[in-house]
Amino acid sequence: MTAAARPSKPAVVGEAAPPSPKAGAERAPPVLKFEQVGFSYDGRAIMRDVSFSVGPGEILALLGPSGCGKTTILNMVAGFLRPTEGVAVVDGREIVGPGPDRGVVFQAAALFDWMTVAENIAFSLRCAGAGKARRREVAEEMAALVGLSGFEDAFPYQLSGGMRQRVGLARVLAAGPKVMLMDEPFSALDVQTRETLQEEVLRIRDRTGCTILFVTHSIDEAAFLGDRIFLLNDLQSGAYDVYDVALPAPRPNPENRLHPSFLRLRETIYRRMRH
Amino acid sequence: MTRSEARRARLRYVLVATLSPLAILALWALVAWRGLASPIILPPPSAIWTSFLDMAANGYSGVPLWTHVAASLARVSVAYVAGAALGVALGLLRGRSALIDAVLLAPSELLRPIPPLGLIPLFILWFGVGETSKVLLIFLSVLLIMMVNAQAGVRAASLDSLRAAQSMGANRWQVFRFVVLPSALPQIMTGLRVAMGTALTILVASELLGGDRGLGFLILDASSFFRTTYVFAGVALIGLIGLATDRGLAWAGRRIVHWEGRR
Repeated sequence: MTAAARPSKPAVVGEAAPPSPKAGAERAPPVLKFEQVGFSYDGRAIMRDVSFSVGPGEILALLGPSGCGKTTILNMVAGFLRPTEGVAVVDGREIVGPGPDRGVVFQAAALFDWMTVAENIAFSLRCAGAGKARRREVAEEMAALVGLSGFEDAFPYQLSGGMRQRVGLARVLAAGPKVMLMDEPFSALDVQTRETLQEEVLRIRDRTGCTILFVTHSIDEAAFLGDRIFLLNDLQSGAYDVYDVALPAPRPNPENRLHPSFLRLRETIYRRMRH
Repeated sequence: MTRSEARRARLRYVLVATLSPLAILALWALVAWRGLASPIILPPPSAIWTSFLDMAANGYSGVPLWTHVAASLARVSVAYVAGAALGVALGLLRGRSALIDAVLLAPSELLRPIPPLGLIPLFILWFGVGETSKVLLIFLSVLLIMMVNAQAGVRAASLDSLRAAQSMGANRWQVFRFVVLPSALPQIMTGLRVAMGTALTILVASELLGGDRGLGFLILDASSFFRTTYVFAGVALIGLIGLATDRGLAWAGRRIVHWEGRR
C-alpha cells in the first residue's frame, strides 16, 4: 500500500518508524479507503481526486486550517455526506450512510442531555434492541475504559467539558466501531485536559485496536497522537502532504511531547504551513 | 453560588413574589378607604371578600359556587387536554414532514390570527349554544398554540445530536423518540403554560354563549346587574386558578426538562 496516492511533496520526517503493533498492519487490508473521491457543493468543487487508505489500528490525523476540507472528509466517512465522485469504502463496503461501525466524537460532544451518562453510552445498544441489563453492563465497562466509573448515573450537564468528551468517546466505543471519527474533539478544552485526553485516545487505541480518523487544526495534537498526518493544503487539486510520526512505543507517554522526533516533526509541519 | 446563598436567593424571591400582590391589595384598600373611587367602580377588597363568603355559603343565582367552579374547570380541562394532545401531535408531524406541513400551513395560519371571540357567532350557528361550542372554542385555541410550539420545538434538535444518533444506528423512529422529542420538550412545556393562560381567557368568552353555570357566566351575570363585588370575586377566582395551574405547570416543567438552561 502506498501511503498516499498523490502527495504534493514526499515528506517523511524523523527516523524510520520503530517496530510497533501497527507496523504490520500496513500490509493488512485497509479498514478505510478513499478512491479518487471528489466532493462538490452547488457545482463548486470542494475537493477533487483524493485517495488514501488507513490500516487497522492506525490513527490518521487530518491537519489543516478551517475550511481546508478535513471535516468534509470526516463527514463522508461518517456517511453524513456522499462523495460526488469516486468511492469511499470502509471494511470492503462502500459507505452509503451513517452507521454504528463509524462512530463520531463531536467537537461539542453532542451528548443527549436528557439521558444519564450510562444511557448515553449504551445508546447504540438500545437502538439495536439490547436489554436493560446488557446495556448497563456495557455502559459500566465503557465508563471504566474512559475513566468515568462512578458517574454512570450523572447527567451530562453535571460534568466538566473533559468528562463530557469522555462520555462521547465511550458511547462511540460501546458500538464497537471499525473506525472512530473524531472531529476536533478537544479544541474547546483547556490545555491540561486536552493533553490528558490525547493520551487517553492513544491508550484506548492500544486497548481496543480501533482505527481512528482524527481531525484537528493543532500541529501538536496531530504530531502527538497520529501515526500518520495528512496536511491538507489544497484539496481542490487533491494534494496533501503525508508525514509519518516516528515516536517510540508505548505511545501514550507524555514524555513524547519532548522527544526530538516530535519537536522536529512539529517544526517541519509548522514551516510547511507558514511557507 | 453556595448552597445556602442559593437558598437565601430563592427565599427572597418567594418573599418578594408574595409581598408584591399584598402591596397592590393594600394600595387598593387605601384608595377605596379614602373614597377616591366609587364603590361601584372599585369596591374595597373587604367588600369583595364578603361577597365571596356569601357565594361560598349561598351559591350564586341558585347554584353552589363550587358547581360554577367545577363547570368551568371541566370545560377547560377537557378542551385543554384534547387540544394540547392533538396540537402537539400535529406540530411534531409538521416539524418532521414537509408534506404534512404544507397541507396544514394555510389552514392553521389563517385560523391563528382570528380572535376566538370572532368565531363565536359561527360556532353558535354550527354547534349551538351548548357545551360543544364552549369546549370547541377553547380546544381550538389551545390546539393552535401547541401546534406552533411543538413545531418550533422540533427545530431545537441540533444537527450534531441528530447525526450522533444516526451514526449510532438509530432508525427514523428512534431518532424521533430519543432525540427530536426530548429536544422539543422545553418549547412544548413553555407552550403548555401559554396555552393554559389563553384557555382561561377563552373560557370567560365562551361562557358568553349562554348557560347558567361557570365562572364566566357568574362574572357576566353579576356585571349586568352592577354587582361589582361579585364580578371581582369571580375574576379573582379565575386569576387564582390561572396562578395555581401556571405554578403547577412551571414546577412540572422544571422536573420534566431538568436539563434546560443547564448545558
